Amino acid sequence: MSAKAKRTIVAWLLLLPLIVLVFFPFAVMFLTAVKPADEVLQPTWWPSDFAWSNFLTMWSEANFGPALLNSLYVSILSTLLALVVSIPAAYALSRFRFAGRGFFRQFLLVTQMLSPIVLVIGLFRLIVWLGLIDNVNSLVFLYAAFNIAFSVWMLQSYFATIPRELEEAAWMEGASPATALVKVFLPLAVPAITVTAIFSFINAWNEFVIALTMLRRQESYTLPIQIFSLVSGRYTVEWTNVMAATFVATIPVAIIFACLQRYLVRGLALGAVK
Amino acid sequence: MHRSALINPYVLVLPGFLLAAFIILWPLYQLGVISLSEVNRFGQLKGFAGLENYLAVFADPDFLGALWRTFVWTFGIVIGALVVAMPVALILNEDFYGRSVARVIVMLPWAVSLPMTAIIWRWALNGQSGMLNSGLRDLGVLDHNIQWLAQASTAFPMQILIGILVTIPFTTTIYLGGLSSIPTDLYEAARLEGAGRWQMFREITLPLMRPFVNISVVLNVIYVFNSFPIIWATTQGGPANSTDILVTYLYKLAFRYGKLGEASGLSIMMFALLLFFTLLYVVLAVRGDEE
Repeated sequence: MSAKAKRTIVAWLLLLPLIVLVFFPFAVMFLTAVKPADEVLQPTWWPSDFAWSNFLTMWSEANFGPALLNSLYVSILSTLLALVVSIPAAYALSRFRFAGRGFFRQFLLVTQMLSPIVLVIGLFRLIVWLGLIDNVNSLVFLYAAFNIAFSVWMLQSYFATIPRELEEAAWMEGASPATALVKVFLPLAVPAITVTAIFSFINAWNEFVIALTMLRRQESYTLPIQIFSLVSGRYTVEWTNVMAATFVATIPVAIIFACLQRYLVRGLALGAVK
Repeated sequence: MHRSALINPYVLVLPGFLLAAFIILWPLYQLGVISLSEVNRFGQLKGFAGLENYLAVFADPDFLGALWRTFVWTFGIVIGALVVAMPVALILNEDFYGRSVARVIVMLPWAVSLPMTAIIWRWALNGQSGMLNSGLRDLGVLDHNIQWLAQASTAFPMQILIGILVTIPFTTTIYLGGLSSIPTDLYEAARLEGAGRWQMFREITLPLMRPFVNISVVLNVIYVFNSFPIIWATTQGGPANSTDILVTYLYKLAFRYGKLGEASGLSIMMFALLLFFTLLYVVLAVRGDEE
């Protein structure tokens, strides 16, 4: 047996306990979601029959559609709003040396770390003052603001890798800075902007505390709050519905995240370390 | 060339800076004012109260319990994740068949949001028909059902385990980045000198991984200290506040008990603590920048 084959067996055996733990919640979610209704409360693992219709039942019983629309609305708009202010700021950080640049970078690092939870009372008062309680637009505004630090940080670490000689060459050719920016820089920045936008979207999609605090009526619930409301403070919980809803709400986003996760790390954590 | 707004860095930075600063400073100012005032449960200020709210926080036995559990929670998860993620990163850094698949699997818990993960575990840990009980019974580990979430002595350790599981991916990623930055000729030189695996790990890997371990510990302390969904979506800090940590206690204080003054005082103190850890992180990150 080759050395590599031996290493393979040892590596997978050592990782096995962790892999079992990682798959356990996914298995619980999926198997519960497809169990026929009368089997959910029985202590069996494997369903006797895959009841795919559970997903249709869940859609109507769990009020999934409206919550999905709210989540999409909030995630898309807050991402766009954050990008509109973050792209210029990231461009400035990556292209110009100016007084206060170091301060701004450190300010971004600090705000990126501050979690909304310690500010939640102040944020609640802010939203009350703006008259936006129970309005999904409050989330658009708050998510966008809290995503700026992350977006600018991600974007500038990628913008810095786009050679500035390209824009300078365009200036030499007589293009105005605006033209150079739009025609030369932005096309090259599209991948970075896309990746950043996807992560902002996922952050907004997954957010819990702010939505829990600002939304009061079911019509305005986003997906995490809607699914949580099916579980908390109830005597009987329809676990099939809950797990089917959780499955639909998380799996598409989780797949995208898993594919793009290495960009997140490169831009964020190690961008700060290195 | 005319001066365009597009090449004035201050114009470019200003909107983002203002919005990001406003969303922190305005709430912070409000918290400061409320925490120094007498306030009723509807949030109306009734005059200056000095430090009464802050003293009231410390007089509450529930606060002291939550403070202690926050300590256990934070260090339990941060140390637990460190202890698991380091060997996992070392394994994933080796060359073996299926390594990229193994990396994706290890990263999976990161891809699912915390409230959703917590809700799945709430069901998995269900006392009557939860799949952890039935799984462990099938394996012969248990002979009766355990009501995992019904008392703190089983609920809190389980919550810490969930926390460790979801913290491992991020921690492993940082370590993998660190490991890939160690030049391989160091190991080759050590091998020529006749160093064993353990010796190479202690003399080369560990010292060079130090900055990455520091960063991961500080970042994880910040994230875990702030982590609200796992506990809120499994037990809401219950039964009888016995699994509360500071963030869930703060939330109850403000939005369930209506003690806005005390909650604001607690927020300010937690904010100060977080700021301290964040500045520590900035110092570490900047030092890494310079090296």
